Amino acid sequence: MKGRTKGTKAQRHRGTEAQRHKGTKEMVLDSGVYCAEAVRLAAFVFSDKAGIKVAPRGGTSTAVINGPDAERLAGEFMNEVLNQQCRLDLAKKNSKIAGIIVTRALLSAAGEKAKG
Amino acid sequence: MKKQEHEKNIVKVGLKDYDLDTVRYAAYAVSDAAYVFITPAGKGAVAVEFTPKHQPVTGHQSPVTGHRSPVTSHRSQAGNLARRFREELKDEKIRAAVFDANRDLREFMILKALSYDTAGAPPEQEDSGLTPEQEKELDALIAQVESEIKRESAGSGTKDPLGITRTWEEKYGAKTGRKKN
Amino acid sequence: MAQKPAARKTNPSGGVLPQVLWKKTGGSYLLTNDAGHYAWLKEKDFAAITAGRLAETGPLFAELASKGFIRDRLDFNDLAAKWKKKNAYLNYGPGLHILVLTLRCNHKCLYCQSAAAGLGAAYTDMSLATARKSVDFALNSPAMGITLEFQGGEPLLNWKALKGTVEYARKKAKTRGKDLKLALVSNFSLMDAEKAGFLLANEISICTSLDGPKDLHNKNRIFTGGNSHGETLKWLKYFQKKHAAQSPDYRVFKPGALLTVSKYSLSRHREIIDEYARAGLEDIFIRPLAPIGYARNLWDTIGYEAKDFAVFYLKSLDYILKLNRQGVVIREKTAAMMLDKIINFQDPGYLDARCPCGAAIGQIAYNYNGDLYTCDEGRMVGWAGDDLFKIGNVFRDAYKKVMSNGVTRVCVVSSNLEAQPACARCAYKPYCGVCPVYNYATQGSLWGNMPSNDRCGLFKGIFETLFALLKKPGNAAILKRWAGK
Repeated sequence: MKGRTKGTKAQRHRGTEAQRHKGTKEMVLDSGVYCAEAVRLAAFVFSDKAGIKVAPRGGTSTAVINGPDAERLAGEFMNEVLNQQCRLDLAKKNSKIAGIIVTRALLSAAGEKAKG
Repeated sequence: MKKQEHEKNIVKVGLKDYDLDTVRYAAYAVSDAAYVFITPAGKGAVAVEFTPKHQPVTGHQSPVTGHRSPVTSHRSQAGNLARRFREELKDEKIRAAVFDANRDLREFMILKALSYDTAGAPPEQEDSGLTPEQEKELDALIAQVESEIKRESAGSGTKDPLGITRTWEEKYGAKTGRKKN
Repeated sequence: MAQKPAARKTNPSGGVLPQVLWKKTGGSYLLTNDAGHYAWLKEKDFAAITAGRLAETGPLFAELASKGFIRDRLDFNDLAAKWKKKNAYLNYGPGLHILVLTLRCNHKCLYCQSAAAGLGAAYTDMSLATARKSVDFALNSPAMGITLEFQGGEPLLNWKALKGTVEYARKKAKTRGKDLKLALVSNFSLMDAEKAGFLLANEISICTSLDGPKDLHNKNRIFTGGNSHGETLKWLKYFQKKHAAQSPDYRVFKPGALLTVSKYSLSRHREIIDEYARAGLEDIFIRPLAPIGYARNLWDTIGYEAKDFAVFYLKSLDYILKLNRQGVVIREKTAAMMLDKIINFQDPGYLDARCPCGAAIGQIAYNYNGDLYTCDEGRMVGWAGDDLFKIGNVFRDAYKKVMSNGVTRVCVVSSNLEAQPACARCAYKPYCGVCPVYNYATQGSLWGNMPSNDRCGLFKGIFETLFALLKKPGNAAILKRWAGK
């Protein structure tokens, strides 16, 4: 992913990413596409892999990634945000069935059911 | 280390054709091979940007066969991704429609399966194997399906047009097939 | 011949399809459903059925209807029965209880994920008191069938605790009314006639590791005290003879062996399978290496990519089928278990491939000090310094508290395929499962990210291979025999 070189004034509009300096990548994620929760969850997953800061900013979330291979890390981060977003999308549709199975599994393991 | 120039590919998708959930999932489905970034692209559309993941310069050598695969150009990788994405969009659109249409039925079936008595007899009321909350849910789902059937029957004049509550044997007997209308 | 839609248009797909999953493979579509039925469709037939245009006459419609792929022909009782049978584990608690009797070991296997300690680390021996407490804990499981599996390190290094535990467990299981099975996983290097006699008399099923011919086995499984391969074969033969002879006083089970595939194995599938056949073993369990625990540190040396394992697996399966056609009795265990689901709609008890996974609710690992873990892999992560998968301790925590522990719950939730965006849509979902420990170890979260998850890639490769093989009548007959065994 290409970005701007150090010293240039960064453009801030929805959906663009800007490179601050070598080893840092800034991503601007539209909240209509990636909800804040998905971004936060992805940042948590990434906290062991790279320095990462996320912040809401109007109708977007900004993620700043620091690391020696910031461009690749930014790509991995975006994929993780998408992973979390898809999981949240699915939960809206499927939580009932998912809950039925989990409930049954946990109750059975705890011996709450009368017969097996 | 030699820096790779990755060929990006951007696909614009109209949200009238595919809803955002569908676009996101289709993009997710190709994220094994690419970094994916989705951004708004004007009114009622999004742009999906694919950057192929890094491939070795000299091609991968299999430890099993020793065969070294040819270097794939980044342009062709990006092209393949766009094609894969479009196929996933079509697939996911059908899948989402099937899922939405069958959600209630599926919930009913899983609850029925959980309470199914393997001896063949219907479960006793006092010990269905379900918690009281689950029994209430199952009763509500059955009532909902039955009322849908009744509504359809009232409209068409036929009982249970989908035959949902009848077993295969009840509907078709031993070997005779349905008559053509 | 006029065609008419099979049902009213109650959904945009034409009203014909109930909930189905599909995968396009070449020019065909594999369809599956929750009950576990599957069917192959040509592209034109898939297009027809999704558009609600599939003709009701003809064998294809009848086949699809009988398998639950036509919405207004659903046999609810049949589908419910099959779903319940395949997911029978949802009604039981943990049946497998792994007692790690010691972390000491006299081997230094390259891929050791159990993080074996040196022979001097006696502090890692499980005391008899801890072992007894572990048995008490295990017998609290609501499962009627309980398996206690003795592992290590090398469990024979703690023979006193093993012997005492077996005697204690048999007595307690009787009073609790449990059907108790005992199992031992050992490298056999410390086996002798006295120990063997005790194990046989107490109906303990025995399993070892066999990685292939001598040079390969000994390269993977380094034993400075002798010839690991030689000891393995010697005691396999011993137990096989005992099995053949049986005893009027007790049952003797066939000994088994496990294969761990390292990078050195990948180009030698024929030699490995031939070694198993020569050793008279009727099952070969081809297990991929997982980068969990200490194996992660060695991944560059011994690891490989999912696609390389898939090639190895396909070649192995092809060769095993060829041997079957020549009359050799040998089957691949992973395939047999998956086929049990696909063909028989059964739960084969494969804790790695079920929804939710067996972490805590299907199995528990008991560390030498009484600490409880979701599974043996979770224990390995703990030994490497991260106790995320610890769910309690036999001395401090009651059974129900452990089953309602936050870690137990989050493993169940995160391994529920209905909540995984890729898995919920995957044609192999009715037969598959995810591993939160693997996801955490390799991708940093219990949920993982399936499109780039190597374990997912491995399982997809296995399923693709099996379904492709099932299409050919010659292979199908053999594979069905494997599932029926």
